[in-house]
Amino acid sequence: MQSLRRRRLDFAPWAFLALPLAMYLVWVIVPIFESFAFAFTKRDSIIYGAVWVGLDNFKRLLGDGQFWLAIKNNFAWLLFFVLIPVPLGLLVAMLFNSGYKGDKLFKTLFYLPMTLSFTIIGTIWMWIYNPDFGALNTFLRSLGLGDIAVQWLGDRRYMTGALIAVGIWRQVPYVMILYLAGLQGVPPELVEASLIDGANAWQRFRRVILPLLMPATVVAVTISVIDSLRAFDIVYVMTNTKARAAEVLASYMYSSSFAFSDYGYGSAIAVVQFLITLVFILVYVNDVLKKEDAR
Amino acid sequence: MKKILAIAIVVLAAATLFVSCAKKGSNELVIQSYMSDEAPKAAFQVLADQFTKENPKIKVTINTTAHEQYKSQLMNYLTAKEAPDVLTWFAGFRMQQYAMKGLLEPLDKAWDNTQFPAAFKTASSYNGKVYFMPQSWYWWSVYYNKDVFAKLKLATPKTWDDFLAVCAALRKAGIEPIAIGAKDTWTAGGWFDYMDVAVNGGPFHQDLTAGKVAYTDPKVVNTFNYIADLSKKGYFMKNAASYSWQEAATLMFDGKAGMYLMGQFIKDVAPANKKDSIDWFRFPLVGSNTAYGVDTPFDGFMVPAKAKNKENALKFIAFLARKDTQESFNKSLGRLSSNQNVPVPNADAQRGLDMVKGATTAMQFYDRDAPEEMASKGMDAIVEIINTPAKAADILAALDKERVRIYAAVQ
Repeated sequence: MQSLRRRRLDFAPWAFLALPLAMYLVWVIVPIFESFAFAFTKRDSIIYGAVWVGLDNFKRLLGDGQFWLAIKNNFAWLLFFVLIPVPLGLLVAMLFNSGYKGDKLFKTLFYLPMTLSFTIIGTIWMWIYNPDFGALNTFLRSLGLGDIAVQWLGDRRYMTGALIAVGIWRQVPYVMILYLAGLQGVPPELVEASLIDGANAWQRFRRVILPLLMPATVVAVTISVIDSLRAFDIVYVMTNTKARAAEVLASYMYSSSFAFSDYGYGSAIAVVQFLITLVFILVYVNDVLKKEDAR
Repeated sequence: MKKILAIAIVVLAAATLFVSCAKKGSNELVIQSYMSDEAPKAAFQVLADQFTKENPKIKVTINTTAHEQYKSQLMNYLTAKEAPDVLTWFAGFRMQQYAMKGLLEPLDKAWDNTQFPAAFKTASSYNGKVYFMPQSWYWWSVYYNKDVFAKLKLATPKTWDDFLAVCAALRKAGIEPIAIGAKDTWTAGGWFDYMDVAVNGGPFHQDLTAGKVAYTDPKVVNTFNYIADLSKKGYFMKNAASYSWQEAATLMFDGKAGMYLMGQFIKDVAPANKKDSIDWFRFPLVGSNTAYGVDTPFDGFMVPAKAKNKENALKFIAFLARKDTQESFNKSLGRLSSNQNVPVPNADAQRGLDMVKGATTAMQFYDRDAPEEMASKGMDAIVEIINTPAKAADILAALDKERVRIYAAVQ
């Protein structure tokens, strides 16, 4: 009797998980392996006329300047996504955490960009970036800086920078929320103790709060890295993937597959992107597991 | 668990029922259309209604998808197990590449040589068989603002030198000489076609779009030098790459820009009170050339080899080839009918037709004559050259590398 009940208990979670797991398998795991298989074929349709070409697609990637440009752009996204939103998000979180009147209002206002979809953000920023009457250039001209009021989204040299700036604008509130949550977990006794010990504000932050925020930092950095690697929406909405200078891996994968019906090559790009992302995910998971073990 | 099972069974049963329902009704005609703009969509609906009247037993369904999305879906339409019956599409290589792969149904039965000029048959055929039913066509030319030209006492230019002089005069008057909405990179495709034919002649340009000439060929470089020169002189509107084609057209309608190399459909977007201030002239001749080429894209229909209701599809194609249906569709849009027995809709179209008749080279358009990937990358390169003319050599070298690969893949 006892053993039967136990077994039923073991069975219950799997019964609940069965459907979501099946869906996950069908829509996530299987397609991942399928696109791996696609990457070794040449095909101009998902179902039609696949020819096995071995490593040809990957060899072609190596000699494809556009692919390297996409990698370069992706790493620019990655670099700026870690260097700017993380410290900035922390700074904003610290400011809002001091608990003054109206902080909730400011928190909400700051968080608002997060609630908008990339499509809307992209559209809004296209207007801001409009070279002739957009807010940015109008502002620059009013400061007498007409010379740097360029075509942010038209000139191939500035495109990627302009797109990353939009991404950062949306990423900062995300990081801010992560840190605000993290700050809730900082025990006030420790902060008070450091006050009694005569630590100044900087020492308090540097020696007490920041180390305690380490878990939040790990999450913030990881999420920013992953978000930067999967940047697509903003690029797609704001350049329509027609301007190749701004291409990132995800958009190059998209245009190769869907605009030029080169699904094998697009899948090879997807595999590369998957592997790069996997490296960062493994680092993160490894870190989490280590902590679990330590507990 | 039992409940979930019960729900699952109900859902499955419903799905099966749904699929079997969709499979039933064999007397259907499914048309997949990219005519999402209001005017052509309405004109096409009129035709569908008429077809239903003539064939009351056939149930016509039109699925309309926006242009860009349609293009990315086309391959899936063509290869689906039960493909749509009729697809809207373009003549030339854009269609022939699918015929090459055996994805299209021959339409010879519906084709009548007395109805269509020979040039249309060539652009609609592959390997001696017709795979495309052309419906309407139009021309590209240099549109200009008549009021602006009148105010500055400018005559429409015939030669390249005249054209440069007009640009200079417009620039001096504080008007953007050449409008181009290069955010839509295809607007640059027109410049490429016309400039290359004007500089190097039609046969050379056809070799280029067929992939037989390198983009680094001195003659091609020369063509791009002309375009880069216009850019260096500041004759293209400033911030061109930030404007869509319609936004740039508005500048010309408002008299802030003088000229715009564009298709006849620019009239579709002109406000009613500005339509009469817009006129066009032929792209100027370069050097001692007297022969000229024109972009005359043919729009029409094709039938997938895997179409589910082929018989109905062929019936509809024959219907679309008729004089009365082509006239009904094109009259309201001011375009020319492919069926040569349809009278020209107006004086403007007559001028267009005369220009085309006098041309030695008729092109479909860069992105219809060349593989789409080539054209897409080529057009981006032109916009880049307009942006940074000094980098033209590097840009063309990179482009040629793509040419080698893309054409190798096509053959």
